[in-house]
Amino acid sequence: SRLAEGTPRRSIQLSNIVEKRVFKEDEIISTPKRGRTKKVPEDEDEDEDEDYTPKKSIQKTPTRSRRMSTTTKPSTTPSKAISTPSKGAVAPMTPSQKMKKIRAGELSPSMQQRTDRPMEDSSKSQLQLAREQLHVSVVPTSLPCREKEFENIYAFLEGKIQDQCGGCMYVSGVPGTGKTATVTGVIRTLQRLAKKHELPAFEFLEINGMRLTEPRQAYVQIYKQLTGKTVSWEHAHSLLEKRFTTPAPRRVTTVLLVDELDILCNRRQDVVYNLLDWPTKSAAKLVVVTIANTMDLPERLLMGKVTSRLGLTRLTFQPYTHKQLQEIVTARLGGSQAFKGEAVQLVARKVAAVSGDARRALDICRRSTEIADADSANVKCVTMLHVQQALAEMIASAKVQAIKNCSRLEQIFLQAVAAEVTRTGVEETTFMGVYTQVETIAAFMGAAVPAPGRALRLCAKLGAERLIISEHSRNDLFQKILLNVSADDIHYALRVGEVSS
Amino acid sequence: MTEICAAMEALFPCREATIETLGDLIGDCEDVYPSAIYLFGHSGTGKTSITREFLRECGRRQKVRTAHLNAIECYTTKIMLENLLDSLASGQGPIKADNMLDFVEQLRRWHDDPEGLSEGFLIAVDNAERLRDMDANVLPVLLRLQQLTKLNLCVILMSQLPFEKFYNKTGLSDVIILHLAQYNKGETQRILASDFSQMRGNLIKKYAKEHDRLEIFKEVMTEDFYNNYMNIFLSVFYKACRDLPELQLTARKCFSIYLEPVLDGSVEATDISRLWRHIAGPLRSALTQIYMRIEKPLDEAEGSTNLEDQSVRKMAQSLELPYYAKYLLIAAFLASHNAANQDKRLFVKHHGKQRKRMQTVNARAKTTEKMSTFVGPKSFSIDRLLAIFYAILEEKVGLTCNLLSQISTLVHLKLLSFVSGEQNIMDGSARLECTVGLEFVLQIGKVVGFNVRQYLCDFM
Repeated sequence: SRLAEGTPRRSIQLSNIVEKRVFKEDEIISTPKRGRTKKVPEDEDEDEDEDYTPKKSIQKTPTRSRRMSTTTKPSTTPSKAISTPSKGAVAPMTPSQKMKKIRAGELSPSMQQRTDRPMEDSSKSQLQLAREQLHVSVVPTSLPCREKEFENIYAFLEGKIQDQCGGCMYVSGVPGTGKTATVTGVIRTLQRLAKKHELPAFEFLEINGMRLTEPRQAYVQIYKQLTGKTVSWEHAHSLLEKRFTTPAPRRVTTVLLVDELDILCNRRQDVVYNLLDWPTKSAAKLVVVTIANTMDLPERLLMGKVTSRLGLTRLTFQPYTHKQLQEIVTARLGGSQAFKGEAVQLVARKVAAVSGDARRALDICRRSTEIADADSANVKCVTMLHVQQALAEMIASAKVQAIKNCSRLEQIFLQAVAAEVTRTGVEETTFMGVYTQVETIAAFMGAAVPAPGRALRLCAKLGAERLIISEHSRNDLFQKILLNVSADDIHYALRVGEVSS
Repeated sequence: MTEICAAMEALFPCREATIETLGDLIGDCEDVYPSAIYLFGHSGTGKTSITREFLRECGRRQKVRTAHLNAIECYTTKIMLENLLDSLASGQGPIKADNMLDFVEQLRRWHDDPEGLSEGFLIAVDNAERLRDMDANVLPVLLRLQQLTKLNLCVILMSQLPFEKFYNKTGLSDVIILHLAQYNKGETQRILASDFSQMRGNLIKKYAKEHDRLEIFKEVMTEDFYNNYMNIFLSVFYKACRDLPELQLTARKCFSIYLEPVLDGSVEATDISRLWRHIAGPLRSALTQIYMRIEKPLDEAEGSTNLEDQSVRKMAQSLELPYYAKYLLIAAFLASHNAANQDKRLFVKHHGKQRKRMQTVNARAKTTEKMSTFVGPKSFSIDRLLAIFYAILEEKVGLTCNLLSQISTLVHLKLLSFVSGEQNIMDGSARLECTVGLEFVLQIGKVVGFNVRQYLCDFM
């Protein structure tokens, strides 16, 4: 499920809006030091036996429940004292006691349970099952089309763990190309090996730059994953410094995954420097895998000393081609007949031409199942037409529609802005010039000319809809207006409208 | 609603239409209020007083909680919110609201409250143009506060600007706009004459000691007489000023002068043309003093010359500057209003012969209308100021720190001001500007015996 929330900044899409669900594949384990020796194996065994049940999140194992919380401070959930079973019977705590326990990691943040049971798998239709399989958060155990990258990262990490030394790796690629999924997949494989004692044991920590309010909170998060305690960043920093610089016998290797590295880069770059400097210490045995989007981030943004510590072990994830996307979607669907072959191909080709983002392809597929489901024909299969409709919804721009649905005066105003841009040749126009054009066009069309006050209101409305970019209307006649749609869009929208009407 | 309107209409003559509209919109708290009303009009049209009175009447007759506040006072959002909560809660002790969310939550709680006795909430915000300068969410939230709080609530905004000046980049919700037009002449006269009985009572008290005058006054003071006076008064004042409070103030002040010849017995009360001749002079001199609120009898101000001139002269004479500071001020004025390329001709004794070229003659002929004393001061450096100072002073004084400190004193007194380079005065890149007018400098020149006109390009 991590994948789905990987990069909300760049791609606001359907997968970020749908609620987060816990699936079985969510067994990536961060390994806290406390209670690791016994609890983790137990936990794992349980996981393997059980089927998918979202009920798991209330288990009192700190390992599992901590993963549920995405915020750095889980203290805000009001119901957690009640929902923790052992605490329910005891006398209620004061808020400060509760905060103390939360900071010490003794209370696990849980979420409210639904009152009714989730639906059985057997009662779901084929389309529903396909839709669930197509959900972005359902990460398959082995990613298709990423075998080479898997090998690459696996070799690097296995070597580092076997050699008991530290090191760094930089993974880059545009959003939705399977970076985090591959890395966590490698880690999961390695953890399985370590459990079978085919590999030296190691600890795995992960931080995400986007989940931190400030780069220095990274120390807090790392320390929290080591011990479960929440301390101030200064304290966490000094404790981590002590841990990584002083040699200790029987120190195991620590693998640290840093997602969204570019967010951690501030002007001083002290956090990034520390994270990349600790592996160079012989006592640390720290392996840092950093993930970011831009390929040339180390050269573009980072200081020389940081880039040199990051090293030259790099890996770039290329965007998926249409064949790969097709393969991904087909693999998700498994043996299901819910999709027509050419429908998948259409999605793959359309998405690969734009971004090569797997999440986008999956979202479009999911949307087409919904359209097929909602179809009155009650079909069992997603056809090309459904996919085309979904594509039109999710890719096509709504600007032409917006212009078509404007009021007549607003359309005249948009025309006037375009005319003024053509007349002056400059992109930026003032309201005064636009208003004279409005007067001309309105007189030409035989419409009543709106008073400047009303024209300002039109302008403010169009500005709020982002069809134009305007200033605050306090400097009325002299406010600057930019056209936010292309002039061709306006002509297209209005001329087509004229013919039909 | 009808009672409120009836009570209001007695207080505010000539505003029946507005009061009725307000009554239709927010008169009855059983009905649903509109979410926002925007009330605009010039100053002195009764926006604030009508709204205040309306809210008071509503609060008295219905279960309505009201709040009236001035946006100028609220220099942070928190002050505004807590003021609003305090007046809406009416005596529940201090309520805290740190931000908009808290505020809305508090109001919502009243909605959920089953024993909430009030059925309506009215919020009036005066000087609403300030809301645009506050946090960007204040105005949008206020305009849809009804929707957000689920209360029967109306926000009344008052300002002198039309609502067109309020649209922001992200759009505002709809608002009902009401305009308060200025009173026309007939309405103004009616409102001014409506204080007849009060005025009569005041004057009877005033003349209580002088028995014969009181008799005449009682006989003369009729509504017709007072209306006539207001007619004469407005014929002079209405062109210049339509601000009702201002007119009222001046009309009361001038009425005693108008009355004087009648009480003396020199003029008949019915002889309007003679009364007009008596009052015309004082009225005209009062017209020059409008908006100044100078509390002194009109007879003194009745000077032979123009009042404006006099005040400048008086100010120039009353400004006690040291001798050199006066010269510095004159030098600053000359530096501001003379072009720098004329300096050599004006201030250097042996500047050689100046060649007249056709080009310059033509150029000057074109710009004759633009006197540099009218287009405003230009900036100059301190070096130039000192050079002109030494050129016009004729005696040679040392450049002491006293002299330099007087420049900064002049800046401090706002007779000079910095245009740029306030940080680097010492390296000579600071530029100053003279802020006093020609009249003022001429007066100062007269005091020290220096002819300023002689050194001004405009007068050559």
